[in-house]
Amino acid sequence: MDLLRKPYSRRQFLQVTAGVSAGAIAAACQAGASPTPGPTAKPEGTFNWMTWSDHYIAEQLDEIKKTAKISTNITELADNADGFAKLKEVKGQLDVISGDALWVPKYFEEGLIDAWDINSLEVAKQLYSIAREFTIWTKPEGYLGYPFGWSPILITYNPKYVSPAPDSWQALLDPKYKGKIVTENQPVEVVAYMAKAAGIKDPYNMSEAELAQAKELLLRLKPNVLKLAQQNTDTVAALVSEEAWIATSNLGTEDRVKDGGGPEVISFIPKEGTIGWMDAEMIVKEGKNKALIRPFLELAEQAEWIAQNFIDYGRPLFNEKAYQILVDKGEKERADRYFYNKPETVQTMTLKGPGLSTQGAINVFNEVFGA
Amino acid sequence: MDPIQTMPVSPYARLVRAVLRTWALVVLAFLYLPIAFLVLFSFEESRTPGLPITGLTLHWYEKMISNGILLGAVWNSILVAVAATTLATIIGTMAAFPLVRGGIRFPNVARILFTLPIMLPGALIGVALLLFFRRVLDAELSFWTVIAGHLVFTTPYIVLIVGARLQGFDRMLEWAAADLGASPARVLRHIVLPLIAPAIMAGALISVTLSIDEFVITFFTVGPQLTLPIYIYTQIKFGVTPEVNAVATVLLVGTMAVLGLSWLMAGQARRISGLIGSRGGAGR
Amino acid sequence: MPPNSAGGAIVVPPATGLAVRAKVGLVRAWPFLPAGLMLALLFLVPMAVMVVFSLWRTTPDFDIVPDWTLDNYAYFFNTPTYVRTLLKTLIMAAAVTAAGIAAAFPFAYFLVRYVSPRWQRAVLLAVIVPFWTSYLLRAYAWQAILGPKGALNQLLTGIGVTDEPSRLFIYDNPGVWLVLVYVYFPFAALAIYASLEKFDFTQLNAAQDLGARPDQALLHILLPQVRPGLITACIFVFIPILGEFLTPALVGGTEGLLIANLIVNFFRGLQYTTMAAFCFIIAALVTVLLVIFRRYLQVEDVVART
Repeated sequence: MDLLRKPYSRRQFLQVTAGVSAGAIAAACQAGASPTPGPTAKPEGTFNWMTWSDHYIAEQLDEIKKTAKISTNITELADNADGFAKLKEVKGQLDVISGDALWVPKYFEEGLIDAWDINSLEVAKQLYSIAREFTIWTKPEGYLGYPFGWSPILITYNPKYVSPAPDSWQALLDPKYKGKIVTENQPVEVVAYMAKAAGIKDPYNMSEAELAQAKELLLRLKPNVLKLAQQNTDTVAALVSEEAWIATSNLGTEDRVKDGGGPEVISFIPKEGTIGWMDAEMIVKEGKNKALIRPFLELAEQAEWIAQNFIDYGRPLFNEKAYQILVDKGEKERADRYFYNKPETVQTMTLKGPGLSTQGAINVFNEVFGA
Repeated sequence: MDPIQTMPVSPYARLVRAVLRTWALVVLAFLYLPIAFLVLFSFEESRTPGLPITGLTLHWYEKMISNGILLGAVWNSILVAVAATTLATIIGTMAAFPLVRGGIRFPNVARILFTLPIMLPGALIGVALLLFFRRVLDAELSFWTVIAGHLVFTTPYIVLIVGARLQGFDRMLEWAAADLGASPARVLRHIVLPLIAPAIMAGALISVTLSIDEFVITFFTVGPQLTLPIYIYTQIKFGVTPEVNAVATVLLVGTMAVLGLSWLMAGQARRISGLIGSRGGAGR
Repeated sequence: MPPNSAGGAIVVPPATGLAVRAKVGLVRAWPFLPAGLMLALLFLVPMAVMVVFSLWRTTPDFDIVPDWTLDNYAYFFNTPTYVRTLLKTLIMAAAVTAAGIAAAFPFAYFLVRYVSPRWQRAVLLAVIVPFWTSYLLRAYAWQAILGPKGALNQLLTGIGVTDEPSRLFIYDNPGVWLVLVYVYFPFAALAIYASLEKFDFTQLNAAQDLGARPDQALLHILLPQVRPGLITACIFVFIPILGEFLTPALVGGTEGLLIANLIVNFFRGLQYTTMAAFCFIIAALVTVLLVIFRRYLQVEDVVART
C-alpha cells in the first residue's frame, strides 16, 4: 500500500514542468496559425473543464497554475449522457469536456467539439501510436480528442465460492449464484452484458428480436443480483465482505478488494468478448479560452503525471512513456496485469457509446427490474 | 417555575415520561449509528470506506487538507445552501401568511402547486431548469442559477411548515397590540415572528438539509463550478474514498462546534436578561 | 376549532376587527408575490416546457422532435410493471409515513412537554445536523451495518440470536423501508415539533381535572390542534418518497426498486420525453389524491372567518 501513497517528489516535478513549459512556449511560437493573440504571448488565464475526478490530480493542477499561470475550473459529470445533455445547452461556457469512446464522435456530429491535430502537441509523441489513430476518432478535419485512459469491463469472482473457474458471461446466469452477484446500476450497460452473453454482435444497436433475447437472459440474471452498484465502492465493499461472489466492473477491482482487507479475487475478460470504454479530452467548439487548452494539455498529459494517475486509480492509460516510468518504479506487474502495455486490447472491445437501441434497452431493463 | 413541574405528578405520568425519554434516546441512537460508522471509515487505511477496518490512519485527512478542489467544492456547497436557505426562508415565510389568512384567491390550488416541486424527481426539474435558463432566458449558468434551482425545492417546505403553524393561530394578540397603537411592523416583530419562530427555524433546517446534498438539480444548473455533492455522486467509475468521509467528519464537527457555541452564547445572553427581567423557567 | 387564547375563553373579535386587520396588513396578497413569482417562473414555466416534451418523441439519435403523440403516456399504462411499481411505491410511501409519524410524534411530544425550550433547540439541532453529511456516505454506512455480513448480523450471530446471517435487513423492501424511515424522520419530527410547540399543555391537565381519561384528552384536545402539523409531516414524508430513487438503489437490491428508479433510468438514457410523461402521470395521480383529501389541507383560520 505504501506504493500508492508515495507522495510525488515536488522537485522531480518542478524539473519536468520547467522543461515542459519551455517546450510549450517553443511550440506556441512555432504555431503561427494558432489563434493566440501574439505569436510570442504566453497564454494565461482560466478555463473550464468538465471531467471525471480520475482525470486530474489536485497537485497537478496546482503546479500548472503555478508554473504556467493556467488555472482550471473543474466541474464533474457522472455519465456521458449527463455531460452531453449539459454541453448541448451551455456550449461555450465549457472549454474542455471528457467523454467516452463513441460518445466522442456523437459530440462532433452534434457540432459541439472541434476536430484538431493532436500531433501539434509535443506531448502527443508520448502516446502509443495506436491511440493517435483510432478510426472512430479520426475525421477529415482532424482528431476528435486527446486520448486519456481506458478499461474493459471484467467479471471478477471469488474462487473460494466460484468453481470451476468461469470464462463466460454465462457465469452471471448460473442459478447456483442466487443473490451473489453485483452489477452496475446502469441499465443500458447491463442489458449490453446480456447481449454479449447471448452472442449478439452490436449490443448498443439491437433489433427487436435481439432485445427480446437479451430480456430473456436479464430475467435469469435478476434473481442472482444482490444489488445494483451505484458506484465502484458498492462493488468493492460487497466483494470484500464476501456478500457477493461475482461482480462486473472496471479494471483494478481485485486490487481494491485486497486493499480493503478482502479475499483474493480473480478478474477475466469473458470469452464472448466484452464492453469497454476509452476516454478523451475534447475541445469545445464554442469555448472562449481555446488558447489555453493546448498549452495546458502539453503540461497535464506529461508521462510523469500519467504514471502517477495510474498509481492512484489503477487502469491503463494511453501514454506509452508513462509505462516506462511505471516499470522503473516497480509497477510493471500491475501495469501488465491491467493491459497497460497492450493498448491494442481496445480494438477487441465493444466500445461504449450512444446506440440506436438505448430506449429499447431501458424499457427491457425496467420491465425486468420493476415490481 | 413551570406550572407543569409544580403540579402533583401521578405515577402513571412518571411512567409515560420515562418511556418517552427512552424512546427519544433510542431515536437519537438510531440517527447517530450510521454517523459513527461514517466517522470510523474516515480513519480507514484502505481506499474503500467500509468494513473490515484494515488499519487506522490520518492519511485521508492530510490528503483532504491539501486538496484545494475538494475544499473549494465544500465552500461552494455551503455558500449555495446558506444563500438558498436564507432566500427560501424569507419568501416562504412571507407567502405563508396570505396562503393561510385568505389574502389570495385560491389558497388550495396554491398549496397543491407548492407540493409539486417536492413530488417531482430532481432529474425532471434539473433538465427543465437547464432548458429554461439557456433557451428561454439565455442566461449563463452560475451561482445564481444554482441558488435559483435550489429555491424551487426548498421554498415549498418553508411555506408548508410555516403555514401549518399559522393555522389556528391566535389573532387576538395581534389585534390587541394594534388596538393599543402598535404599528404593523412592531406587531410583526414583537408578536407574530416570535410566535412562528419555531416553524421558521424548522423550515430553514430542512432547507439546509436538502440543499447541501442535492446533486441532480445542482448539476444541471451550476456553471463551471464544483459542489460537494457533484464531487461525491460523480465518482461512479472508481468510487469514493475515505477522503470524502474525512471531509464529512470535519464538516460535521465544525457545524456542531459552531452551533453548540452559538447555543451556549444564546443561553448566556438569556441568563443575563433573565437576571434583569423576571421571565424564567420553561414558560413559553 | 376553538382558538386557544391566552385568556382561555373564546373571544369575540373586537368591533374594530376588520379595520385593524387591514391595518396589520398580514392578510394582504403582496407577501405571496416573491414566492409565487418564483414558483411560476422557475417551476411552472419550465414544467410547461416539460409537459410539451412529454407529448413529443425522442428519436434514436436523442433528438426531441415535435411529433405530437400520447405514446409516452400509453406506454406507462400498457406496461403492467410500471403500474405495479407505482402502486408498490404508494404502499411503501404510506408505510414509511406511518412509521415516521409514529416515531416522530412521541419524540416531538417528549421534547415539547418535558424539555426546556433552550434544550429543545439543542436536541432539534442534534437531530438534523447528522443529515447535513452526504447521504451517499451514510447509505454506505447502512450497508456496512445491515449487510448480510454487516455489523448487525455479526452481532446477532455473535450473541446467538440467529445462526445464519439474515438477509432481511437489506437489499429488499424491508431494508428500503427502514432506511427511508431513517431518512425522513427529521422532516416529520421538525414538522410536528413546529406545530406542537405552541400547544398549551395545561389544557390536557384541565381536561383530566374535568374527568377525561388521558387518551381522551389527547384525542380530543391535543390532536385537533396539532393536525396541521401532522398533515405537514405526512406531506414531507409521503410526497418526496414518490421521487425517491437513491435509497432503493443503494439498499433495495433488485426487489426494492421504486417508481423513481425506473424514471431515472429513462433520464440516464436521455429519454426525456418518456421521463416527463411518467413524472406527470404520478404528479396528476397524487394531485387527485391531494384534492380528495383537500378537506384536511383546507385553510382554516377560524378567527379570520368570523
